[in-house]
Amino acid sequence: MTRKRKLWMRLTMLSLFMLIFVAPVILMFLKSVSFGWSWPDWRPTQFDLRGWRVVFGDPRIFSSLWNTILIAGVVVMLNFIIATPAAYALSRFHFRGKAIIESLLMLPILIPVLAIAMGLHLTMIRLGLTDQVLGVIFIHLLPTLPYAIRVLKSGFDRLKNEWEEQGAVLGANSQTVFWTVMVPLMTPSIRSTAVLVFVISLSQYVLTAIIGGGTVSTLPMIYYPFFTSADEAVIASFSVLFALLPIMFLILFEITLRVYLRVIKRP
Amino acid sequence: MKKIIPMIGLATAFLYGCNSSAEEEQHEDLMDADWDEVISQAEGTEVSIYMWGGDDGVNRYIDDYVAPALEEDYDVTLNRIPMDAPDFLSKLMTEKQADQETGTADILWINGENFRNAKNNDLLYGDFAFKLPNMDEYIGDEPAFVHTDMGTEIEGHQVPWGNVQFAFQYNADMVEEPPTTIDELIQWSIDNPGQFTYPNVTDFTGNGFLRHILYDVADDPAALETFNEEWLDENGQEIWDRLNAFEDSLWRDGQTYPESLSQLDQLYANGELAFTMGFNEHRADSLIEDGVFPPSTETVVLEPGSVSNTHYLSIPFNSPEPAGAMVAINFMISADAQINKLDPSMWGEGTVLDVSRLTDEQQEEMEAYIGPPVVEQEEILAELDSKYHDWIIENWEREVVQQ
Repeated sequence: MTRKRKLWMRLTMLSLFMLIFVAPVILMFLKSVSFGWSWPDWRPTQFDLRGWRVVFGDPRIFSSLWNTILIAGVVVMLNFIIATPAAYALSRFHFRGKAIIESLLMLPILIPVLAIAMGLHLTMIRLGLTDQVLGVIFIHLLPTLPYAIRVLKSGFDRLKNEWEEQGAVLGANSQTVFWTVMVPLMTPSIRSTAVLVFVISLSQYVLTAIIGGGTVSTLPMIYYPFFTSADEAVIASFSVLFALLPIMFLILFEITLRVYLRVIKRP
Repeated sequence: MKKIIPMIGLATAFLYGCNSSAEEEQHEDLMDADWDEVISQAEGTEVSIYMWGGDDGVNRYIDDYVAPALEEDYDVTLNRIPMDAPDFLSKLMTEKQADQETGTADILWINGENFRNAKNNDLLYGDFAFKLPNMDEYIGDEPAFVHTDMGTEIEGHQVPWGNVQFAFQYNADMVEEPPTTIDELIQWSIDNPGQFTYPNVTDFTGNGFLRHILYDVADDPAALETFNEEWLDENGQEIWDRLNAFEDSLWRDGQTYPESLSQLDQLYANGELAFTMGFNEHRADSLIEDGVFPPSTETVVLEPGSVSNTHYLSIPFNSPEPAGAMVAINFMISADAQINKLDPSMWGEGTVLDVSRLTDEQQEEMEAYIGPPVVEQEEILAELDSKYHDWIIENWEREVVQQ
C-alpha cells in the first residue's frame, strides 16, 4: 500500500514538474516554428521558420549574442572576486555595525532600479563610463552582487569552522586550505551563485539601455522591443534562444567545476 | 584621495566647458552652410538612428533599404539602435543635465507628447527642417502637420516622416454585418458581449480610440480644433456615459482592459476578440501575410472618420554627426524612400509627400503599392492637441474603470 502510494506520489510530482517547467518550453518552441497557430487548433497546422529568420536576420544578432555572453561572463567572475571575501567576512567575523553593513549590501535589490537610474547615469557620465561595455559590466554588478554575497554567505554559514582548522592542523597554509578544502565543499553555493548571476545579468534591459546607451547591444536590447508587437512567432523564437544561453552556461560551468575538482583530488 | 575627487570634477567641468563653446560654433557653421557643404561634411560619417524596434517590417525597411542606399549614395553609414522613445528621451535628459555635449544618438523617431517633452526641455538640435532640400521639393510649407504636432509648434525642430490613419480591423468570420459608425460598433458590442474591447488609455492606441469618441460626441469637429476646456466641461459627461453604457459587454465584462495594443492584437490574433484597431490603415496587410492575423481580417473606418497621426524624425542637441543626420533625414523624405516605405511586404504605411509634386510615374508606383485609399479624403480627422491626450488619461480611470 505505502509502496504504491509512494509510486503515485512520484508520478504526480513528475507530471506536475513536466507541466510547470517543460511544457511551456515545448509550447514556446512549437510557437516559434508555426504559422498562424491559434485557437481552436490544438496543434500547429502549418510550419514556418519566419520567426527564426527574423531573429538571425537582424544585422546585430551575432555581435549582440557575443556581447551578452562576454558581459555576463565577466560579471560572474567579478562577482566571485568581490563577493567571496565579503561573504566570508560576514559569515566568520563579528564586528560592530555588522547588521548595518549587511543590510546596506542588500539595498541595491530593495530599491527599484528606475528610481535611481537617472542618478546612476549621471554618475557614470561623470566617470566617463557610459556607452561602452566596461560601464555596462560595472553597472550589472549592482543587481547581482547582493545575491552573490547572500548565497555565498549562507554557504560559509553551513560550513563549520572545523574543516578549515583541520586543514591548518595538517599543515596546509591558508591558501591551500581555501583552494582544496573550502572550494570543493562550497560547490553547491558556487554553482547557484554563478547561474543566478549569469541569468540576472542576461536579463538586464533598463540598466543596459541607459548606461550602454544603445551602442552596447545585448540580446535583450533587440529582443525586448518585440514584446510590444503581436508577432508571437518572433517573440517565441527570441525566447527559445534566450532560454538556451543559461543552459549552455550551466553545462560549461559544470564541466569546468568537475575538471577542477578532479585536478585537486589528484594525489 | 579626498583631494583628488574635486580636482577630477573641476578638470572635467573645464573640459566640458571648452567642448560646449566649440560645439556651439560648429552648430552655427552647420546651420549657415549650404547644402553641398553639408553633404561633403556628411561623407564618411556614421549615423545612429534611435527608434522603436518591435516591428520586423520597419526594421527591414531601415536595414535592407535605407541603410544600403545611404551608404551607396552619400557614403553615410546608418546604424539602427532599437530603443523606445521614452527611454532615449530620458537618456538625453540626463546627458543634458551632465552637459554631455557629444552623445550617441543622431536621429530620433518621435512625435506627439514625446516631441513636446523633448522640445520643452531643449533636447533637440534646432530649426533644421527647411534646410533640407527635399522638404521644399516634396512636402512644402502648406500641410498643417509641418507646423504643429498634436498642438505643439514644430518650428522646424522635426521633419515629418510618415502619416497614418486610425482604422479598425475585424474578423469577417466573427462579424457578419460590420458596423459603419461608432454607434453601430457600440450596439454590436452590446449584442455580442465579450468580443470587443479597447486598450487602456495610457496606451497610444487606446487613447486614440477615445479621441474618436470625442469626435463622435462633438457635432462639429471644429469645436475640438484647439484645446477647449469649456467644451470638455460641457460634454465630458456624455463621453463617459457613452463608454459606461457598453462597458459591461466588453471583454471580461470590462473588469480589465488590455494594457497595450500588442495585447489587444494578440487577443484578436487568437480569436478571442472580433475587433482590433490601430494607427496605420495598411497595418493588417503584413500581419496577415506573416500569419499573425487571420486571413479573414478586414479593415474599416467608422463614422465620424479617422484621426490621422504623423510621426517625425528629429536630431538631438548632442548629435555627434548632425551633418550626417541631415543627409540621412533628407534621403528618408525623398520620393524613392517614401515610395518604398509604402511596400506592404516591408513597412506599408502612408507617405507625407505632397502627391501632386510627384511625377506621373512616381504616382503610379505609389498606387501600385497601396491600391485605392482605405480612408477617403473627407473621412480624415485632424489629430487633436496632446492636452486632450492628457485629459483622457487623467479622467478615464475615475470615470469609466471605477464606475
